[in-house]
Amino acid sequence: MKWTRTVGVYLVLGLGASFTLAPFLLSILTAFKTREQFAGQSVLAWPDPFTVENIVRVLTGPAEFGRAVLVTLLAAVLILIGQLVCSILAAYAFARVDFPGRQVLFWVYLSTLMIPPVVLIIPLYLMMTQAGLRNSFWSLVLPFAFASPYAVFLLREYFRGIPQELIDAARLDGANTLDVLVEIVVPLSKPIIATLTLITIVSHWNSFMWPLVVTTGPQWRVVTVATASLQSQFNGNWTLVMAATTLALVPLLALFLVFQRQFVRSITISGFK
Amino acid sequence: MASSRRRSHPGIRRRNTITGYALLAPSLFGVVCFMLLPVLVVVWLSFQSWDLIGPISFVGIDNYRSVLSDGVFGNSLLVTILFVALVVPIQTMIGLGAASLLTRDLPGSAWFRTIYVLPWICAPLALGVVWKWILAPTNGALNALVGARIEWLSDPALALPTVAAVVIWTNVGYVTLFFMAGLLNIPEQILEAARIDGAGPVAMFWQIKIPLLRPTMFFVLVTTVISAFQVFDQVYALTQGGPAHTTDVVAARIYYEAFSAFDLGRAAVMAVVLLVVLVVITLAQQLYFRRRVTYEMD
Repeated sequence: MKWTRTVGVYLVLGLGASFTLAPFLLSILTAFKTREQFAGQSVLAWPDPFTVENIVRVLTGPAEFGRAVLVTLLAAVLILIGQLVCSILAAYAFARVDFPGRQVLFWVYLSTLMIPPVVLIIPLYLMMTQAGLRNSFWSLVLPFAFASPYAVFLLREYFRGIPQELIDAARLDGANTLDVLVEIVVPLSKPIIATLTLITIVSHWNSFMWPLVVTTGPQWRVVTVATASLQSQFNGNWTLVMAATTLALVPLLALFLVFQRQFVRSITISGFK
Repeated sequence: MASSRRRSHPGIRRRNTITGYALLAPSLFGVVCFMLLPVLVVVWLSFQSWDLIGPISFVGIDNYRSVLSDGVFGNSLLVTILFVALVVPIQTMIGLGAASLLTRDLPGSAWFRTIYVLPWICAPLALGVVWKWILAPTNGALNALVGARIEWLSDPALALPTVAAVVIWTNVGYVTLFFMAGLLNIPEQILEAARIDGAGPVAMFWQIKIPLLRPTMFFVLVTTVISAFQVFDQVYALTQGGPAHTTDVVAARIYYEAFSAFDLGRAAVMAVVLLVVLVVITLAQQLYFRRRVTYEMD
């Protein structure tokens, strides 16, 4: 390849990268500026003086962002544990146990992948209201903690690749189904479990519509809802709002940089949304 | 892997049935209670009247009549289709372009790939709020940098394309990843054979690579059409459906109908219509393209 063309390719890639990164950098820069500097100087100016006041105000102020971070993390972790346990059990049944109705039930699971989440918001809201769980921590967790047909689907594919001889050998040694799962299947499935862990944590850290609908007031606000309410409450006070968006974005950026390869793999094998 | 040997032993068969359903029970509970039942509930609710506070009462097809006749939902469907028609082709082209630049074995490609995916893994709502500031008319970053005062989000002619641009910016990395995987999956022998036959880079791209990318193209188009049809977070952050309903996409309409207008019956009708539309799209794709494609890239 001619060197001029190589330079051209890098130029295009570099432009794309700057355009992709600019909003993140602008958010982070602005989060550490004083209101005076934000009003008086160029948006590209380096924070001077560098201040953490916005971050502190967002975390501890009336927006209770610190609490929102804890609520979001706790909900995401509980959903993750629930989904992993339920999905591993179900995927093993679909992959390795021969029971009547297996095919039909698997098709039912697959068909639920077609249901758009937006459609479920209204009936779930009604159901949570009837159950007296509206605006509670459990309303954030329950609807997602039992099953993810997607996780079942991916795990089943993976389990089918585990040699049956390994399972048979353990059976001969007297292992029951749970022993087989804990001692053979799960240890051999670490990559796909890591993938599901990343996907689940990220999508529930980012989830917005359901928490927005089912919670009211600061008590059970998640990070995204807290960010949105901060924006409407402090409209125009952008240093504060950018402190909130920075807090919502930076943990994921950090996670992504650490687990880069796993993330890229996860997205391509799962089409994760 | 069912073995016929096992089928012949009734005792083992019974044990398998018990084991199977015991393993399935927790997740089946979730699927039934939080997916299948809600679909029935939303259909039921579409025939009721409910304002969130008062009692729920049966109104027959009144909700359907009112939703289909007053034009608000028709506008939302139109806006959504326009949005999909803006977002999907543009992000597919940019993603394909980026992927073909990133699969040239240039040093640093992995870094660019990582950077391009960043917006995709972040919260769309938080990114929407960042863009809300960038695009703000008076102290927004973009207008400050270009030295103009453009009403990106409050000019009815600009609002939808602007929201679409933000969503494209978010999605390009995702599309790029799949096209990269697709391009890297093309066997070297095919490219070599084409090269020997004298195919130049342009012919190589359009006549060899694009046809071989059809499965990837199909997967990307289907998943991105379905997700663009449900866009909500960015619209909520950027325009809240305005100005003058020009960005009032279906998901936002459902939300506002239910939780601003407190008309759950009408919102349920809209949800039912959205469900039908998306199921039809998915089934059409299934008919056209039986096997699900997954890609491994490492």
